[in-house]
Amino acid sequence: MRIEDSVTRGPGLDILVDGRVVPAFGGETLATTLIAAGISAFRDDSRDRPRGLFCNMGTCCECFVRVTVPGRAARDVRACLTLVAAGMAVELARHD
Amino acid sequence: MDRADVLVVGGGLTGCATAFHLARAGASVILIEAGELNGGASGQNAGSLHFQIERRFLENGEALAEQATRVLALNRLAVADWQGLQAMFDDDLEIVMDGGLMVAETAAEVAQLQRKVVREQAMGLATRLIGGDELRGLAPYLATTIQAASWLGSEGHANPRTIARVFARAAIADGVDVRTRTVLTGATKHHGGYAVDLASGDVATTVQADRVLLATGAATATVGALFNLHLPIFPAGLTMNITDRRPQFLPHLVQHVGRRLSMKQAHSGNVLIGGGWSSTLRKSPTGGFDVSRPPELQLASVQGNLRAAVDTVPAVASLNIIRSWTGIVALTVDQLPIVGQVAPGLFVAAGGSGFTLGPTFARLLAAQMAGSQPAPELAIFGPGRFDHLNGFMG
Repeated sequence: MRIEDSVTRGPGLDILVDGRVVPAFGGETLATTLIAAGISAFRDDSRDRPRGLFCNMGTCCECFVRVTVPGRAARDVRACLTLVAAGMAVELARHD
Repeated sequence: MDRADVLVVGGGLTGCATAFHLARAGASVILIEAGELNGGASGQNAGSLHFQIERRFLENGEALAEQATRVLALNRLAVADWQGLQAMFDDDLEIVMDGGLMVAETAAEVAQLQRKVVREQAMGLATRLIGGDELRGLAPYLATTIQAASWLGSEGHANPRTIARVFARAAIADGVDVRTRTVLTGATKHHGGYAVDLASGDVATTVQADRVLLATGAATATVGALFNLHLPIFPAGLTMNITDRRPQFLPHLVQHVGRRLSMKQAHSGNVLIGGGWSSTLRKSPTGGFDVSRPPELQLASVQGNLRAAVDTVPAVASLNIIRSWTGIVALTVDQLPIVGQVAPGLFVAAGGSGFTLGPTFARLLAAQMAGSQPAPELAIFGPGRFDHLNGFMG
């Protein structure tokens, strides 16, 4: 769910999440985009339990996802600290 | 008044392990800890089991390097102690001894490694200098700029969060009276031993003990003052970093002969990166350092440490640092630990390499405190080398 009134957003763009097109807006974090798309489980822990956004400030490291942007190697990033970008492809449910 | 054969002050690795050995030998033991068990350097370090001569002994001239060579006799005992440790306990101690490399990038560093290996081999340590295909085959993760490394097959790492606690649990099972959040407030000579005043919150008690061991790390100078003694041990703040988890790719302990670096991959897959980078000790309002609070992180230390790590093992560049933390180690003026009897019935074990050597200090000290002769390997660590500081005390 997104707030629609009195909000100025960046330009709309699409990212890929596990191969599925997910709408996003420039300037928002990857965590925001995922939560807005109804995705709350970002990865699985070593005991196969789903984990997701907890602190939303880069400290807890629960929101790691694997991200590929065109022209760069895949990298695990904190979704809460990473801004979405056009062409970004995200892999969820990786084991840590 | 409570009574015990031995009062151990300090619930780190050396204190807990000594209490364990003493209880096994039939002594009644009380162990006190000012904070929580394993809350100091024993639980904050990066868990290296390093038996090669450490870099800190090599960067200050030949005299110190020569002295460090004499530590190697104890390092050889420590190898055997760590190899036997897992068999003593049911818990998984995450002890890995698959080998360690100290790497060199420049010709001068290779020459330094060569001199080091000669010293080590003369002392019976099976270090070897390797390079070329052998090094690449053994450690394909190393940067191509690494020219050579000294290899010791018995080095490795263990989980510092676990070891002291396992010793403490076993000590408690063997009857040791462990009291945390309990501080030493005073000590007087009493019936050939000591009467020691303790405070736990608002509750004050006195314990009479025939022998006292101070295994108090960076607090040792302060605690020594309660016995009217100078124990010349100085706190130093250090920095450790840890990455997110990856499948195992780094089976060895990796150190650098010319740069501050130690790294290894923990059981859980995280890579621990340290190597002696500084942090800033907190100041006490009355002057001096406050070792009861964690030192302040220095960003330059984190950056320098990570730069050394990436230059040595390039794959680390794709990992994320998930946490950096600081801890306090205890140092002496000659870089050697102080271990042994400092006054009748009063023993000390502190200062330098306490994780790697802790189980060995504990085993040898417990035997000495139980009445045997001191082990010859401990002779160079004896507090007697600082007797000139205590000539006017008593």
